[in-house]
Amino acid sequence: MDNGPIIKLENVTKVYHQGKINVTAIDGFSVAVDKGDFTALCGPSGSGKTTILNIVGALDVPTAGRVTLEGNDLADLSRTALSTMRRDRIGFVFQAYNLIPVLTAYENAEFVLALQGMPERERRARVMEMLKEVGLEGLENRRPEELSGGQQQRVAIARAMVTQPAVILADEPTANLDSATAASLLSIMEHLNISHGITFLFSTHDQRVMDRARRIITLRDGKLAGDERKG
Amino acid sequence: MALRNISRKRVRSAITIGSMAFAGFIMLFFAALGQGLLYTMEQNAVGVYLGDIQIHAPGYLGDPDLYTRVPDPNELVAKLKAAGFNATPRLFGFGLAAASGTSAGIWMRGVDLINEPKVTMIDRQVMEGAWLSADKPKNVVIGKKLAHTLGVKLGSEIVVVSQAADGSMANDIYFVRGILKSVGDAIDQGGFLMVDTEFRRLMGVTEGTHEIAVTRVNKDRDLSEAARTVAALAPGMEVKDWRQLQPVLAKMIDVMDTSLLFMLFIAYSAVGMVILNAMLMNVFERIREFGVMKAIGVTPPQVFSLIMAEAMLEAVIANVLALGAGIPVVRHFEKHGIDLSSLSSGASLAGMAFDPIWYCKLTARTLTMPVWFMFVMVLAAVIYPALKAALLKPLEALHHQ
Repeated sequence: MDNGPIIKLENVTKVYHQGKINVTAIDGFSVAVDKGDFTALCGPSGSGKTTILNIVGALDVPTAGRVTLEGNDLADLSRTALSTMRRDRIGFVFQAYNLIPVLTAYENAEFVLALQGMPERERRARVMEMLKEVGLEGLENRRPEELSGGQQQRVAIARAMVTQPAVILADEPTANLDSATAASLLSIMEHLNISHGITFLFSTHDQRVMDRARRIITLRDGKLAGDERKG
Repeated sequence: MALRNISRKRVRSAITIGSMAFAGFIMLFFAALGQGLLYTMEQNAVGVYLGDIQIHAPGYLGDPDLYTRVPDPNELVAKLKAAGFNATPRLFGFGLAAASGTSAGIWMRGVDLINEPKVTMIDRQVMEGAWLSADKPKNVVIGKKLAHTLGVKLGSEIVVVSQAADGSMANDIYFVRGILKSVGDAIDQGGFLMVDTEFRRLMGVTEGTHEIAVTRVNKDRDLSEAARTVAALAPGMEVKDWRQLQPVLAKMIDVMDTSLLFMLFIAYSAVGMVILNAMLMNVFERIREFGVMKAIGVTPPQVFSLIMAEAMLEAVIANVLALGAGIPVVRHFEKHGIDLSSLSSGASLAGMAFDPIWYCKLTARTLTMPVWFMFVMVLAAVIYPALKAALLKPLEALHHQ
């Protein structure tokens, strides 16, 4: 596995303005995530985990500091270039699944490939393979409302994985799932990480995720409180 | 995807599409009624008696004199026919008619029985009795109000007195063969129509004619261009199209045409508000969804296109429904009309009588104008919500409750 840094945050600070009050969510945070890492961002609620994911995923911009993804400084990219980067290089898995309700499981997974302009035949092959990998074979034509929470999260993982992105950012992916489903999903993600070499960065305070992660970065009050590599 | 988004909220989409379709239907019907009114006005002006274009000897229109005539009318009529027109010569003279102890001034009209029906519909305006016949030169057709003034019925005798071209007294007895329905003030009050040969005999007019009425065989031919062609065929004569002969009526038709557009604009603006409201609701309801789409890489132009596609799709469905319901209704009223005779009978405008039955008229413009209006209004109404959705910040949208 190539261990070069794929994500780099240097002195990142994020301050939210709530009326006249300034809330510092991230305070001079620096970290580098290597390619192929399976990393968990841990910490109590409000410690800044989600903010870090949002900044890395180009959904939010830091107040200060520098963020690079695959060597590209996100501050230098236009709005369209950021959209393209999110589409092609980043996969998102949200706590609330966030599937598009009018599309079936297959279509949700296919959506980004269609945006990329991939030919239908190739799209179909890749989506079917991915749905099979996440254990959704036979449920392709169901809409999100017809799927359980665990199944919806699998669709979300398939959607994030299908484009073969450089990094998958998962925000509390197991928070709404029972133990068995969470364990199953973690196994799937671990397998995908190993077999496809995709970097995973989770935000979590779920011990099951932390147990499976190979690196645990701990945050407290927006600051780096620990960085532990296993094995 | 746009289609699915529309089908997702069936009730709201049905209300939006239904209101658009209803407005489209009303607009189509309204446009067809307006077009029907304009068409009827023009037909009354042109088709009943005026003709598209008229040829007179110079000065006749300002001073309609028995001696001011267009020479060689038959030769000119033949030339006009060869150039794609129908034409008919007419003779005019003033006189006094008396019957049943009353009298009235009359405007005698010598009618060419072969050519006149090819140019106008005056022969089809007979309310009682029958049209003129070459076999019965002493039979005449008169205006509705003249018949009332003289107190005559079909078969009644009318004594006519006038001054012939040679200065002698022209007088004779005629019989009422037909009474016209209301076709215009001048004919209603003084119209005294007779066969042209009888007019020539009575008035001693042996050659020339006072007027040649001309119509285009191809009604799509441009009126001004047609008038120029006619003028070239009748050098030295005064040639005017119906818009010049009836400027008040022509202006009125133009104003009505413009006001029709204005009314359509107002009605569609109201529909535009409905669409704007529906689209804003649609966008606000789905802010989180747009946030997800943007988070996974949908660009602002793609979000904008999606909203536009949804609106256009709704407009297409609404237009199909509007046309599907509207065309049969318009066709029905094109054939049967709306009878307004109980509200007004014998209405006239700029001296032209109007049929109290109001017909619809389905034309390419009647069909396309409401459709285009709807698309333009939908486009205008949806730009703001589409831009709003396109410019949403993904993170804020994702956190939207």
